[in-house]
Amino acid sequence: MRRAFLAITGLAASTTALVVLKGSPGTTQVAQDLPAAQPVNPTPQGADPSVAPAAAGDPAGAAPKPSVSAGAPASPKPSRSTARPSGTRTTAKAPTTPRTTTKAPQPTTRRVTGPGVDNEYGYVQVQIVVSGNRIVEAISLSLPSGGESDIHSGDVRDRYNGTGGEVVQKQSANLNTVSGATETSNSYKQSLRGAIEQAF
Amino acid sequence: MPAAMTRPGLCRVEQIMGTAITLDLADDLAPATLHELADQVFTWMREVDARFSTYRADSEVCRFDRGEVLLSEASADLRFVLEASADLWGATDGFFDAYATGRLDPCGFVKGWAAQVASDRLLAAGAPNHCVNAGGDVRVRGRSPSGEPWRIGIRHPWDPMATCLVLAGTDLAVATSGVYERGRHVLDPRRGAPAGGLRSVTVVGTDLGVADAYATAALAMGVAGIGWLDRLADHTHAVITDDAYQLHSSALPLTD
Repeated sequence: MRRAFLAITGLAASTTALVVLKGSPGTTQVAQDLPAAQPVNPTPQGADPSVAPAAAGDPAGAAPKPSVSAGAPASPKPSRSTARPSGTRTTAKAPTTPRTTTKAPQPTTRRVTGPGVDNEYGYVQVQIVVSGNRIVEAISLSLPSGGESDIHSGDVRDRYNGTGGEVVQKQSANLNTVSGATETSNSYKQSLRGAIEQAF
Repeated sequence: MPAAMTRPGLCRVEQIMGTAITLDLADDLAPATLHELADQVFTWMREVDARFSTYRADSEVCRFDRGEVLLSEASADLRFVLEASADLWGATDGFFDAYATGRLDPCGFVKGWAAQVASDRLLAAGAPNHCVNAGGDVRVRGRSPSGEPWRIGIRHPWDPMATCLVLAGTDLAVATSGVYERGRHVLDPRRGAPAGGLRSVTVVGTDLGVADAYATAALAMGVAGIGWLDRLADHTHAVITDDAYQLHSSALPLTD
């Protein structure tokens, strides 16, 4: 019994110690990071979102290229490898931030492509553009077309080739004839006849 | 009516098929010829009514439906209409269904087809300028008595005295199906319930029977009918939804 109690308290104590030890540097880092990252990011980000997709494809900027797919071996690797072990995004930011401040004011822009996912309507694949630690764009590389989704009214409007959307208006003009739903003149006549017969 | 005296041709209206049939002959032919042509047209329309009316128990379509007439004994017209209805059932994904009401009722095709045949016969008989209006389904050919292309209004679905669009042409079949005259009489054959979403569908083509059936089918489809009409080859359309929005093909022969 005693042993069990000791074992449990020991386990609890060591777990707490682990959490405290591990947690405290992490949280302090976040606290340090954010103020450090913030002043750097706003300046480029103001002009960035429109530039971001181009910057990622732009081979001139060696720094923005550290995309996951491109896998430029020189500079981007370290940022990723440091990001991995610590496991949090904020720690990943830490090494990159000082670099951008010292070398170039551009934040790193990356394109990350998600896995292709099949559903009953088709194939979906999404790519995001990440500038620094912000997602600045999401692009659908593949979306289902045709099939069941056609019959949803929103889609019908999007895919419609004709002219539409205006509220029906009255237009009077000199006409030869009028096309319309069949009028039930017979029932009108029958009803009228019935009314007359009742009246007299 | 001095206008009626000066204009060439002849205009006649008769009540057949439970609705008004209007014939406007614009050719400057001898009055006797014009009357003879008009007589032929209305004789044909009454013949169609007698054969295809679902309101007459003794019509061929009712006798056929009750099994009193075999397909092999049926008239050429009935066999043609049955065959066309089957084709249209396929072409409209089953939404044009001559059996939607539970018994044979091909009226969604017959009225337009009858007017189309009348127009074809007038053309063959040497009267290429005319307008046949069978209860709102219109076939025009050539030019109107004024010498201009025919001007066809599409009825405003909330105001019987107004039109919402005007078409003009010299060779048009214009069929309109709507819920504003006879209520929600068009059934969605897949649900067996009245169709909803669209208040009026107009289809423009060159065969009035087909245009009539397409308009009925699109109305039965509801909002999905807009996309279906949009993909139809060789036909243009105008649709008015239940919430009063108007959509039409960019190629619709509109005029002001």
